[in-house]
Amino acid sequence: MATDKLTPEFETFQGELKSFILRMTASVQDAEDIVQETYIKAHAKLNTFRGESSLKTWVFSIASNLARDLLRAKKRWPENVTDICREEALGNPQFFQEAMQIRETSPQGNFEIKEHIAFCFTCVSKSLPLEQQLALLLKEVYGFSMKEIASILNQTEAMVKYYLHTSRSRMIEVFDQRCSLINKQGICHQCTELNGIFNPKQKAQEELVKIEMAKDAENKSKEELFDLRMKILQELDPFESGAAELQLHHLEHNRQVMEKYLGE
Amino acid sequence: MNQQTNPKAVTDKRMFSRETTVSVNIQADPSIVWALLTHASDIPRWNSTVVSLKGEIKEGGTIELKSTLDEKRTFKLKVKEFVPGKRLVWGDNMGSRVYTLDKNEGGVLVAMSEKIGGPLFPLFANMIPSFDKSFEQFAADLKKEAETIQGSKK
Repeated sequence: MATDKLTPEFETFQGELKSFILRMTASVQDAEDIVQETYIKAHAKLNTFRGESSLKTWVFSIASNLARDLLRAKKRWPENVTDICREEALGNPQFFQEAMQIRETSPQGNFEIKEHIAFCFTCVSKSLPLEQQLALLLKEVYGFSMKEIASILNQTEAMVKYYLHTSRSRMIEVFDQRCSLINKQGICHQCTELNGIFNPKQKAQEELVKIEMAKDAENKSKEELFDLRMKILQELDPFESGAAELQLHHLEHNRQVMEKYLGE
Repeated sequence: MNQQTNPKAVTDKRMFSRETTVSVNIQADPSIVWALLTHASDIPRWNSTVVSLKGEIKEGGTIELKSTLDEKRTFKLKVKEFVPGKRLVWGDNMGSRVYTLDKNEGGVLVAMSEKIGGPLFPLFANMIPSFDKSFEQFAADLKKEAETIQGSKK
C-alpha cells in the first residue's frame, strides 16, 4: 500500500479505534496517545503490510498490542468497581461540583441513561482478564469476525472462541446479579440514581422505556439482554455523543479511584 | 457424535493407596480444553464439582481449592508439573492429581487421575469419600463446556 493512502483510510476508522482503546484503558490520555502511536507505527511498518487482512484489522492489531503492553502490568478492576467508585464520589464534593459545571455549561454535558449503561460496561468489563476483554470488545462492539480477532490477538480461532464464550458468560452473570434495569433484584441503580441528580425534572421510568434492554427486560433471555446492551455500545461514540464530556469526567474519576484502590 | 457421553470413573484400592481415574473423549480443539483446565478463576463457572478456586494454575503456582466433596475444607495445593497443552499435575504431600491431554482425530482424550496414599493411609482410608461421582461429573462438565465453545458462533 502506498503511504499516501494510509492517512485517508486510517481516518475512516480512527474514531472506532479511539473508542476501542478508551474502553480498554478507561483513559482519554492513553487512548489519544495509543491512537497516535498506532498511526506512527503503521506508517513506519507499512511496507510489511501484505494485505492478508484488511488495513483496519492490521491497524487494530498494532493498537491492541500497544494497549496490551500498557495494561499487562496493571491490575484488573473488581466487578464491583461502580460500588467502590460511588462511595468515593459521595465523599468527594469536588467531583459533583465539576460534574454539575459540565452539565450546565458543556454542549456534551447531557446525562442520558443509555450513555451511562455504556460507561458502566466499560468499567465492569475491565474485571475480565485482558485477552477476554479485548476479544469481547472486538467481536461484540466493533464487529470483527473470529478470524480477524485471531489475527489481531495473534491467537488461534479456538482460543478466540474460548475468550468470547467465557467473557460473555461472565459479563451476563455479573450484569444479571448487579443491574437493576434487567433484574429487579439487581443491586446497582446508579444510572437511575444519577439521572435523578442530573435530570431532576425527568422521570427515570419515562427514559427507561426508550431503552430496549430495560423496556423488554422481562421478556428477553439473559443472552438477548446482553446483546441489547452491546447494541447500545455499538451505537455510541464515547467521544462524540451529547453526554461525552460528562461521562468522560466520570470515567476519569473512576480510573483515578481504581488506581488508588489497587495501589498503582 | 462421540459415543462416550457418560464418563465412568474407576478406582483402584490398595492397602496403602487409592487411585481414581476418569477419561473422556472431547470433540474440541485441545487448546480450548487446556484453557478451561488452567484458567483458575473461570473453573467454578463450568465445573460443578468446584466450589471455589483461588490462585494461578501455572508452573510453580499455588492454588486453594474448595470442592463439593468437602465444602468446609480448603485444599492448599501446588502445581507440580505444567506442560502446556499436554499435562498438568497439582497436589500436596498426600497425593497428586494428574491431567493428561492426548490429541486424536476430531478432538482430544482427557484423562484425570488422583492417587492418594502413604504409610498412614490405612488409618484414615475410610474417612475419605469416594471420588468416583465427582470425577464423572467433572469429566461430563468439561466435555459439555468444551464442546459448547467449539460449536459456538458467537
